[in-house]
Amino acid sequence: MFQKQDMDSYEETPRNNSHADEVETVVGPSVNVEGDFASEGNIIVKGTVSGSVTTSRQLIVEEGAKILANIKAGHAIISGHVKGNLKVDDQLELTETAQILGDIACRILVVAPGALIHGKVSMKGIEIEGGKPARRRVSRGRKTAVEPVEDAPTEEESDEFDV
Amino acid sequence: MYIYLYDDFLRQKKYDSVIKSIETRLTDFGIAGKIIRLQQFTNAGAVIEDEIRKGAVTVVIVGNDGTFGRVLSHAAKSEVLFGFLPIGGNNTIAPVLGIPVGVEACDVLSRRRKIGLDVGWVNNRYFISQLHIPPHPIEVEYDEKFLVSSKNNKMELVVCNLQPFVWNDHGKKEYIIHPQDGKLEAFLRPMHKKGLFRDIYEDPSVFPFEEMVVSSKKPFVVEADGRVTKETKITIRLAKNRIAMIVGKKRKF
Repeated sequence: MFQKQDMDSYEETPRNNSHADEVETVVGPSVNVEGDFASEGNIIVKGTVSGSVTTSRQLIVEEGAKILANIKAGHAIISGHVKGNLKVDDQLELTETAQILGDIACRILVVAPGALIHGKVSMKGIEIEGGKPARRRVSRGRKTAVEPVEDAPTEEESDEFDV
Repeated sequence: MYIYLYDDFLRQKKYDSVIKSIETRLTDFGIAGKIIRLQQFTNAGAVIEDEIRKGAVTVVIVGNDGTFGRVLSHAAKSEVLFGFLPIGGNNTIAPVLGIPVGVEACDVLSRRRKIGLDVGWVNNRYFISQLHIPPHPIEVEYDEKFLVSSKNNKMELVVCNLQPFVWNDHGKKEYIIHPQDGKLEAFLRPMHKKGLFRDIYEDPSVFPFEEMVVSSKKPFVVEADGRVTKETKITIRLAKNRIAMIVGKKRKF
């Protein structure tokens, strides 16, 4: 009738960790990190990282920091130098001291005056009909530009702009 | 059967009244048991193994952070339930486990709320509270994925498990380590320069990890749970749910 209960109340699963947000990976100012640098939490970079940087959460690259790597992040705020491709799922914020040498892919891009980008920027969600901006093909030998035919079937839709 | 391991410092007269009230409360709850007083060179692991053979089910550590680390680093292999009765000062682990200092700890013990605690493993032995390597030219490899080195050559390393490590970023932010997030946390502080009165360090780097290899060409000092050794290469790992422990409701994980 009554179930016999174990004398000990064993709690196997840890409780909701309210401190999960506090766990951060911090790369200090004079620290070099080489290799595939991955973290499940937020990453703050103040030093140098070469290889690759991956996080599903926030990445903050502080002023004076250098990243020579491809970056994948959920959300990123860049104030330092990045040489490599940036793929951000949500918002990428470039402050006035940011310098990016590489391609950027993100959903929302915030660029402060003074930030430098050298690369291709592609963002999802564009709804312009045709999908592609008019491109000029310049054939060698002839100086006439070939205008795109309006009804021509478009190739794979991509929302890319060269900066 | 309950076994109580009393630290040597509890012989001091100022603890007599607390010990007396704790023993009375334990008797009231019906969980009083055999008392073993630890001496400076007592091997807690051997004592516990012996008591398990005699039928001990719960081993309760009575003392402070030092006692806790000293006993559990030797006894982490033992398959027995551990309890903790913190007494006196130097008790930073007890609040993490949700155990009040003094007589109130008996209430927590009697409720037997049990969880599995993660412990650190370094070169064939366990450490419970903290591992410390003083400034030395070391190189650190994390999870066989990335290598960390410093431009300034010398680095100090602190790996925290249960003992909270608080580093205050000039009043801006406090980094607090929590024991139950499934990872160990390593604090690396490169030494900037030697000061007149104290060494000047740079901002620390923090890396959560499951396995870490620390190496150096010259032997370096490793201090784990108060035990000091010299090594040239150490592997630090996380042993998940290694120790069954009685904790309080207000634990911080």
